[in-house]
Amino acid sequence: MLEKQDKKFIVALAGQPNVGKSTVFNLLTGLSQHVGNWPGKTVEQKTGTVRYNGLTIQLVDLPGTYSLTANSVEEQIARDYLVTEKPDVVVALLNAASLDRHLYLISELMELTPRLIVALNMVDVAKQEGINIDVKALESALNMTVIPMVASKNRGVKELVEAIAQKCTETVDTQAAGHVELGSEISNDIAHIEGLLIDEDTSPYPRHWAAMKILEGDSQINKLLRNRLPPERQAQLDSFLSDKESAAITLAGLRFDWVKKMLSSAQEKPGAGRVSLTERFDHVATHPYWGLGVLAGVMAVIFGVVYGLGIPLQNLLQVSVIERAQNLVSYHAQFMPDWLRSFLVNGLLGGVGLVLTFIPILVLFFMAWGFLEDVGYTARVAFVTDRFMHLLGLHGKSCLPLFLGFGCNIPAVLGTRIIESKRARLLTLLLAPLIPCTARMAVIGVIAAAIFGGRAIPVTVGLIIFSLLVLIIAGLLMNRFVFKGEKAVLMMELPLYHKPNPQTIGIGSWQRTKSFIKRAGTVIMAMCIFVWALSYFPSGNITSSILAYIGKGLEPVGRLMGLNWQLMVALLTSFVAKENSIATMGIILGTEKAGLSQALRGMLTPAAAIAFLVAQVLFVPCVGTMSAIRHETGGWRWVAFSIGLQLILSFSLAIVVFQIARLA
Amino acid sequence: MRSERVEEYLEAISKRQKTEMPVSTSSLAADLGVSLPAVTDMIKRLESEGLINYQHNKGVSLTAKGSRAALTTIRRHRLWERFLTDILGLRWDKVHDAACRLEHAVTPDMEESLAALVGYADTCPHGHPIPDKNGHVKEQDVRPLSEFKVGQRVRISAVVKEEARLLREIEKLGLKPNSVVNIEKKDDDGTLELKLDGQELRLDKATADYLMAIPLSPSEKAAEEDIPMSMLRTGEVGVLKSYTGGRGMLGRCLSMGFTPGSTVKMVENFGSGPVLAKVHDVEVALGRGMASKIMVTRVGSEC
Repeated sequence: MLEKQDKKFIVALAGQPNVGKSTVFNLLTGLSQHVGNWPGKTVEQKTGTVRYNGLTIQLVDLPGTYSLTANSVEEQIARDYLVTEKPDVVVALLNAASLDRHLYLISELMELTPRLIVALNMVDVAKQEGINIDVKALESALNMTVIPMVASKNRGVKELVEAIAQKCTETVDTQAAGHVELGSEISNDIAHIEGLLIDEDTSPYPRHWAAMKILEGDSQINKLLRNRLPPERQAQLDSFLSDKESAAITLAGLRFDWVKKMLSSAQEKPGAGRVSLTERFDHVATHPYWGLGVLAGVMAVIFGVVYGLGIPLQNLLQVSVIERAQNLVSYHAQFMPDWLRSFLVNGLLGGVGLVLTFIPILVLFFMAWGFLEDVGYTARVAFVTDRFMHLLGLHGKSCLPLFLGFGCNIPAVLGTRIIESKRARLLTLLLAPLIPCTARMAVIGVIAAAIFGGRAIPVTVGLIIFSLLVLIIAGLLMNRFVFKGEKAVLMMELPLYHKPNPQTIGIGSWQRTKSFIKRAGTVIMAMCIFVWALSYFPSGNITSSILAYIGKGLEPVGRLMGLNWQLMVALLTSFVAKENSIATMGIILGTEKAGLSQALRGMLTPAAAIAFLVAQVLFVPCVGTMSAIRHETGGWRWVAFSIGLQLILSFSLAIVVFQIARLA
Repeated sequence: MRSERVEEYLEAISKRQKTEMPVSTSSLAADLGVSLPAVTDMIKRLESEGLINYQHNKGVSLTAKGSRAALTTIRRHRLWERFLTDILGLRWDKVHDAACRLEHAVTPDMEESLAALVGYADTCPHGHPIPDKNGHVKEQDVRPLSEFKVGQRVRISAVVKEEARLLREIEKLGLKPNSVVNIEKKDDDGTLELKLDGQELRLDKATADYLMAIPLSPSEKAAEEDIPMSMLRTGEVGVLKSYTGGRGMLGRCLSMGFTPGSTVKMVENFGSGPVLAKVHDVEVALGRGMASKIMVTRVGSEC
């Protein structure tokens, strides 16, 4: 046997969503954490290390789940982990302010692990709500260690670590895997199902537990058995289950009865008549009109910060770092071969470097996102906007990611993570790149000002409305033809509002930024180099490069939208970053920024200018967004779909617009 | 203070008066379990104190003063019964006799404290109304359950005979004051077949005679019907009954706490779009489609 000090203990952190799990996880592990995905799933997996008294504990954050019946990917991940990895200790984090609901999870956890510690978070909120909890009484009712905590104020963390360490080193289980009293009827049913199965059928799940889940109608276990059981036993099982439809309801009822019993002596609570602060604020925040007002206000503040701080910072980085470095290389590195210099200036600095200048904007969005999430407001946004999103076959949770898209499509794509339904998530993720982001707005700004002068603003507003209409129509069509079947249904908890925790927001934003930087160094860099190579080879000059060749090849299409090959090339380079279009035009037309307006006026009729802007707004997602799509969908398939979709939208609509505008 | 015997007599007359007016001395003797001469003696005494009127060969009736005194005793009796069941936790079939003895040893101050202690309950554990301090009784138009017709839906209001064996039997059937039952069938011998919360049960005529009931009012009937949760208005409270949706949504609903029997409070419902409901102390947003597949019974409102 290994020495105690050498053994690495595995501890899983379980809990319902919105219980403050990330805060506790961060407190326990600090920055020594690793963020990735659960194998084969697009659900975030966080692991971290805790060292205490010579023990090394690996902490695994299980996805937030309401139960352990496989209603969602998260629930399946959580229980599979408990069954297959058999962690040494499972910490169940509960919300002290709504124990009636949170103990439900314990009733399921204790069926799978005998080594549970209960961490009772938010005891301060509970007190505020007038709820009295007798920790000792709860401990003896549950026969488990209960640690009261206020994670947001760093209270109870030390005690929790001590309890974990003690449980880890305990050699005998002081509590057996238990379950709620099931009554004779349910027990008999479970025993009957158990009798129809052998251990191999249900492995890795314990047979008794699997039998209970079958009775509860768990789709995953049923599917598993369908693949394993011989037909005659399957038929026996099916016929037994045919009149057990209500067993799931009965079992859930029994679990809640158990919860009630556990709490009978441990909790005192004010009558139901009390209207909480959350409820009072929600009267406004979830109102169909006022709620939209609140949302508009919140968005105004976020975009105010992004425009007031993020964009100037991005500009500053672009001008004083990237462009300065580009100049430096261009003028002072004459000793380098031409291709190397061009690679450095246009491929690296002008590509990845430019993408990286967006980090301040991204960080601000990640922070704003983390803030809204931590405060508990995101769920309200979903609630208020659900009625509109429903028209697109989506539900309210899709709204916030799309809103963020106006700043930058990357956080929009990453933000789709909050949507549980796979179908709704994909649809949102594919619609997000159709939102005109700040980079596209910059291009529109330059060209609209050059061509339309005083009428630039109505043109710009018109384009935004146009692209939103396209988004809605694309959403409706995809909903109808690409993603048939299951409709998005809204069912989510609106957590109590609470004070945001800077550490949670900070670490969350840092993790997301880190992951973006990592992608910038890999996927994004590769794509940038690829585009650079196209624009450099074979001649070393963009006007006679492969890219130009492609642009010329596209000229017949371009002509339909009133664009010459130079503009087609400008469009193609927006692939790296949307505002590249302007720089490319400058290079191809051989003018500095100042002369660009004049050159554009000479080249573009108003109809062609509109067509170009339409094509530009709807053109394929930039490399950053693509890498985010790949990251979120776990492959290139949907990236390709997205490129195809937007290419078709962009070109066909630009052609239609040009043909109509020409007549007008 | 009046003697215990006097109070007992007044109480008995008062109860008898509901069915018999004036009350014959023989009924009184039977109710109190005493001999006729004893009753006659006591009647003379009560009349001289101005508590009753006595009509020879007909019977007695309470005067205003007597009726007031009787109600006070009844009030104290029923308050004690409440105390014994609700506070001391005695079973409802064990409290009547004890209350008979306790009721006489009460001062007005004690009476008030007792009423406060049982939360100013307005009925005794057996369903009879407790007169208020001023002697007002909220009488309802009750009839024995045996007199109702098949198909009627009625609310049990009270058990008139507080005999331990009978009470235990009724309790075993799951019936109690405020239970709502459907009269499904009536046999020739008067045995009733009832439906209580979906459960069938049989009740012989003798027992049904002792159970008082009132038909449900139209508004109660309307409130009783199961409605989709989406029809609860803001502030209204319902009890979850069943699901009409498929098995797919069931699992999620159950794990979110929407189990049959749980209380659901509608926090926001604007008539269109999603609704916001509170269940097990947590606010849950639900799409309207889903909310319309969850059936509830409206039980009241909080706003």
